[in-house]
Amino acid sequence: MSRRFGVMGLWTLAMVCGLWLAATQVSVHSELADLLPEGTTATQRLLLTQVRTGVAGRLMLLAIEGGDPDDLAQASQEFGTRLRATGHFNIIGNGAQALSKQDQELLFRSRYLLSRQVTPEAFSVESLRQSLEQRLDDLRSPLASMIKETIPGDPTGAFLGILKDWAGQEGPAKHRGVWMSEDHTKALLVAETRATGFDADAQATIQQDIRKTFEALPGRSASLRVVMSGPGVFAVEIKQTIEAEIWWLSTAASTLVVLFLYASYRSVTLVLLSVIPLSTGIVAGVLAVNSWFGFIHGITLGFGITLLGIVDDYPIHLFSHLNVRGSAPAVIRAIWPTMRLGVLTTVIGFSSLLLSGFPALAQLGLFAVVGLVTAALVTRYVLSVCVPPAFIPRDVPQKIVPAVAQLTRAKWLVPGAVVLATFMLLWSDTPLWQTDLASLSPVSDARKRLDEQLRQDLGAPDVRDLLVIEGPTAEDVLQRGEAVISQLEQLRTGEMVAGYDLVSSYLPSRRSQQARQQVLPERSVLEHNLQTALSGLPFAPGLFTPFLDAIDAARTQPMIDRDTFKSTAVGMKLGSLLIEQQGQWSAVVPLRGVADRARLAEIVAGWHAPGVAYVDLKEESNLLMTAYRDRTLAIVAWGLLVIAVVLAVGLKSISVLRPVLLPMMSALVVVVALVNAAGESLSLFHVATFLLVIGLGLDYALFLNRPEGTGEERARTLYGLLVCSATTILVFGVLACSAIPVLHAIGLTAAIGSFCCLLFAGMMADEGAHAEA
Amino acid sequence: MIFGRPLRKAITGISFLLLLGSGALAAVDVPTAPWTIDGLVALLKEQREPSMRFEEATYSSLLTEPLKVRGLLRFTPPATMEKAITEPFRERYVIDGDRVLFESERKGIKRSISLEDYPALRSFVDAFRASFTGDAARLQKVYDVTLEGTRRQWTFLLRPREAGGQSMVDYILFTGSEGRVATIAIRLPDGDRSVMTVLRESTR
Repeated sequence: MSRRFGVMGLWTLAMVCGLWLAATQVSVHSELADLLPEGTTATQRLLLTQVRTGVAGRLMLLAIEGGDPDDLAQASQEFGTRLRATGHFNIIGNGAQALSKQDQELLFRSRYLLSRQVTPEAFSVESLRQSLEQRLDDLRSPLASMIKETIPGDPTGAFLGILKDWAGQEGPAKHRGVWMSEDHTKALLVAETRATGFDADAQATIQQDIRKTFEALPGRSASLRVVMSGPGVFAVEIKQTIEAEIWWLSTAASTLVVLFLYASYRSVTLVLLSVIPLSTGIVAGVLAVNSWFGFIHGITLGFGITLLGIVDDYPIHLFSHLNVRGSAPAVIRAIWPTMRLGVLTTVIGFSSLLLSGFPALAQLGLFAVVGLVTAALVTRYVLSVCVPPAFIPRDVPQKIVPAVAQLTRAKWLVPGAVVLATFMLLWSDTPLWQTDLASLSPVSDARKRLDEQLRQDLGAPDVRDLLVIEGPTAEDVLQRGEAVISQLEQLRTGEMVAGYDLVSSYLPSRRSQQARQQVLPERSVLEHNLQTALSGLPFAPGLFTPFLDAIDAARTQPMIDRDTFKSTAVGMKLGSLLIEQQGQWSAVVPLRGVADRARLAEIVAGWHAPGVAYVDLKEESNLLMTAYRDRTLAIVAWGLLVIAVVLAVGLKSISVLRPVLLPMMSALVVVVALVNAAGESLSLFHVATFLLVIGLGLDYALFLNRPEGTGEERARTLYGLLVCSATTILVFGVLACSAIPVLHAIGLTAAIGSFCCLLFAGMMADEGAHAEA
Repeated sequence: MIFGRPLRKAITGISFLLLLGSGALAAVDVPTAPWTIDGLVALLKEQREPSMRFEEATYSSLLTEPLKVRGLLRFTPPATMEKAITEPFRERYVIDGDRVLFESERKGIKRSISLEDYPALRSFVDAFRASFTGDAARLQKVYDVTLEGTRRQWTFLLRPREAGGQSMVDYILFTGSEGRVATIAIRLPDGDRSVMTVLRESTR
């Protein structure tokens, strides 16, 4: 008695400590990026960094709709101004002047270093004459008053050229100075948030502020609405989906399990007791993952509830074997070898996930291993002691034994099912493997469509196509960028791409700047050329003195680099296009509207430009996922082999392997066929779940083939197994209803797997062993 | 294109009828109608020609002598205006609603801009549109309007009411006779100005 309370006291103490630790130490993340692998090559790492922190990830697309074009335009103007003032954004683009006065002044002062027009011929008499005549045209045009101011200091139009580069290629249609969709039903805005796209908390705050700002717009007509899209918006939606799903899935699954346990055994005590190993396993799993990875992901936590479905097998085994003759500790001693072997093989299965190198799977693996081992040990050493001495669960129906015996007559159905499944797979229209990573995203289709629509309206890059230019220094990268400008321009005019954003179009390399400085003429030469060019033109005398002064100053002006534009909108833009990572510099060139990806890849490869590569981000991440899937598949195969060896050693017989391994492997084939028939292609996560199915199947088969003394014991074992698999199917069935594709994949696979394993193990159970007994 | 020819014929026909009608109407009205802004604007609308040839001189502090261009002004109700420069170079501005299509042969440019980005152009376009569509109310909302002279010889002065407009345009001055404009002068706040003279012989 005292031992019992001692153990319970110790367990309670440990649980309180564990829960306290979990409440204070554990940090739950829900950013999907945290589950992405690091990547193995430098390019992969760069790309993943881009996905996490790059400018494409920080773009937010906004639209105002629900009014006439004039209302929309006015709202957009005011909205843009107010959003700029919130400080959340590097840039708000709505078609209104994008560059601040400060930026423009800086660009004006640096015009002769920045301008592509500065060539050796630019200051010859003929060139000057041509420029001057163009300025006369400008003065005659209706737009004269806008550019008149710049003429005395910039008769060659260098500054206007730079502004044109910054304004980019033709943007969306405009109405009253702001961007509008082609049909004038939406005012369009683009925002670049300071926070990264995956920072869901920051993004949620930003989106809240955007809504508040919009609500508070003065004179806004009530019918106007604002819609948002982009990676940040997705991140928030994903986070919310995950949080909401985890909550209802765990509630639904645990309620179902509790109800089912109660219905099966009609005992509150039993239900309460089974909570002991379950809760301990989950707390231990959470703590282990958190201390190993520094955080636990929401999805891993969601997976925690699936442990309910596996871990409760252990107390059920214990309870189902309890009878009048044996006390709980005696029963657990009797079934422990079988249980231990089941735990061991399951752990081997899950620990192989740890080796996959994929953070999401490694977390799941660690969680499951620690949870399972803890729950098994708690069942063995705590639960068995805690069971009240006189506690006997209700009698189980004895008919179950002949029923199962009947089942074994249908043994032939198993190979039949495997053959059928193989044919189904061969003839199926659904591809066997899922290679599109995007299909694993829990973002709703409506949102994806909105995003696509807005990107099309805005001509925004779709976070997919990039040119990456790498080099050991920023200067190298800029020079390499300059070397491909003309090719890129060809792609654009050839309509291979709709547009690109290359850092070298804005910031010339030092080499180019020096070259430009060298061609700037001496004052006397320039003055002479200018005078000659001016002859006969009606410009006021002395008008161009500011021009002569500016060229003089530019000849000795310090070089421009990224730092010159620090903390300006221009600087932000440069910072996002030119990045340093582990001593390596890269320019990221987002491409818009790529017409033919395969052709583009060929063309870029054909340039033979050093350090320049075209990257289809989607393709790349799909490749990455496929690589991890193959690796996981290999790990599953190795795991299976190790499990077989461990079983052979544990059972001390190879002949027993057949009824234990065969049903489980047949079940795997059938599961694959059924999942495929349900219209789903296999992903990394399905593969990972195979391990779970293997673990479950082995457990069932081990207990089904366990030699037992009496028919009553046999009945208890069988009843226990039925309860085990039913709870498992319940929990994973709930999971299969999840809107999160990863959890859905796991749930569906495991639910079908659990059912098939039990059925097949029952059919293939070795009758001989029991007949002898 | 299929309908191009008959449609153009129809439009020419209608314009002709309108011209005839308005001429007759004007002849009847002369002795009785008082000379007001509303009257002028209505007359401008009535006697509006599908296109007008013009000569424009730009005077600027940057220049020692005015720059001259010749071209064609077109107005297609309700809101499409075109200014085409034909000499000494070819350049075209087509203003349709808020959009301005800008085409320059010499600079090899063809692009679409928003009127909102060019406030100077905007106030000018406003004045034109309101005058030629007979919308005196709109005109007087944006501008301080003064009409002087007689029906035979009038001047029509527009000064922007709002500070925003004032920083772009000092005034726009139309002169004319009956429903016909003779000159349009635009003066900018810095003293630069342009004077557009409508060439009479071009009426068809």
